[in-house]
Amino acid sequence: MSDERRPRQELPPERPESTQGPADEAASGDQGAARLTGRQRLAKAVWPPRVTRAQLIVALLLFVLGLGLAIQVRSTSENSALRGARQEDLVRILDELDDRTKRLEDEKRKLTGQRTELENSSDQAEEARKQTRQKAAQLGVLAGTVAAEGPGIRMTINDRAGTTDSDTLLDAVQELRAAGAEAMQVNGVRVVASTYFTDSGGGVSVDGHKIDPPYRFEVIGKPADLEPALNIPGGVVQTLKNKQATVGVTRSEKVTVDALRQAKRPDYARSSSQ
Amino acid sequence: MIAVLGLVVGVVAGLVVRPVVPMAFEPYLPIAVVAALDAVFGGLRAMLDGIFDDKVFVVSFLSNVVVAALIVFLGDKLGVGAQLSTGVVVVLGIRIFSNAAAIRRHVFRA
Repeated sequence: MSDERRPRQELPPERPESTQGPADEAASGDQGAARLTGRQRLAKAVWPPRVTRAQLIVALLLFVLGLGLAIQVRSTSENSALRGARQEDLVRILDELDDRTKRLEDEKRKLTGQRTELENSSDQAEEARKQTRQKAAQLGVLAGTVAAEGPGIRMTINDRAGTTDSDTLLDAVQELRAAGAEAMQVNGVRVVASTYFTDSGGGVSVDGHKIDPPYRFEVIGKPADLEPALNIPGGVVQTLKNKQATVGVTRSEKVTVDALRQAKRPDYARSSSQ
Repeated sequence: MIAVLGLVVGVVAGLVVRPVVPMAFEPYLPIAVVAALDAVFGGLRAMLDGIFDDKVFVVSFLSNVVVAALIVFLGDKLGVGAQLSTGVVVVLGIRIFSNAAAIRRHVFRA
């Protein structure tokens, strides 16, 4: 407040020398002279540079000013809002941040739960798919749509006389089934639940495929059950021998049933579980 | 000329060296800078008027800065820091404008 008024009061004695006229002189002349003098003075102060005490002191103060200016501008532009903020503003901002953090934490927890749920359900879906695949393989063995292998027996019926008919073969199959046979084929034809045997001129047809002797059965099941089942007195083997057929039964640790059968889509029956 | 150089050097130094202002003085720096600006404009006007005196300039510069900082400090203590610093900035701004007007009349004759 006092920086310009005080000098004015102090300086009137000097003024006449510099402005070549009294301070309160008539308007136009004095102002014209002062203006001219002001510009000249400015030019003189700027150029040529002179090292005087006044210049040095002013330079020092202006250096301080420039320093403060630069620091302030930089700090304001750096982390804009927070640096110049007052304490109560900072407290408010902190509160808002806390709230926001809490909200985001909640959201994160919710989303994590959802993710866990989804992972679990996809695990369950994977498990269900696995079980379905296993079931499909098991059912495929039963339905004859996939190849099967395992321990079992091989039976060969050598029938030169041609006395073996469909009934005998069907008996053999029934006997084997009763003994726990899980998959079987005869002369390259898969025997399943719907398989039928018919007599056809000197041979036998299985599911419409004519097969000729010797009849070779490949059966998967427990060998220790299957073989006795065939050999029981009055059983399949004895019956065939009575008809002059030779029967050979061998146990095997690895029997392959690789004859396949097309799964027939039922026309009427539909799964009731869907 | 030397004075202008001093200002330029100060700005450059502030930008390059990046000095750290103590936390205690941080709130007062902007007000102090505005007060110093007011003093500089006053000094420029005085120079154009031909009544510049370096001693007066130094005293006015320092007292401006100190008083401005003191007012803000007091305002902070009283709980009206924001309002008081706004007031200080308004007053100093008005003075800067009036000084600038005087300087303009000298330099542009209008």
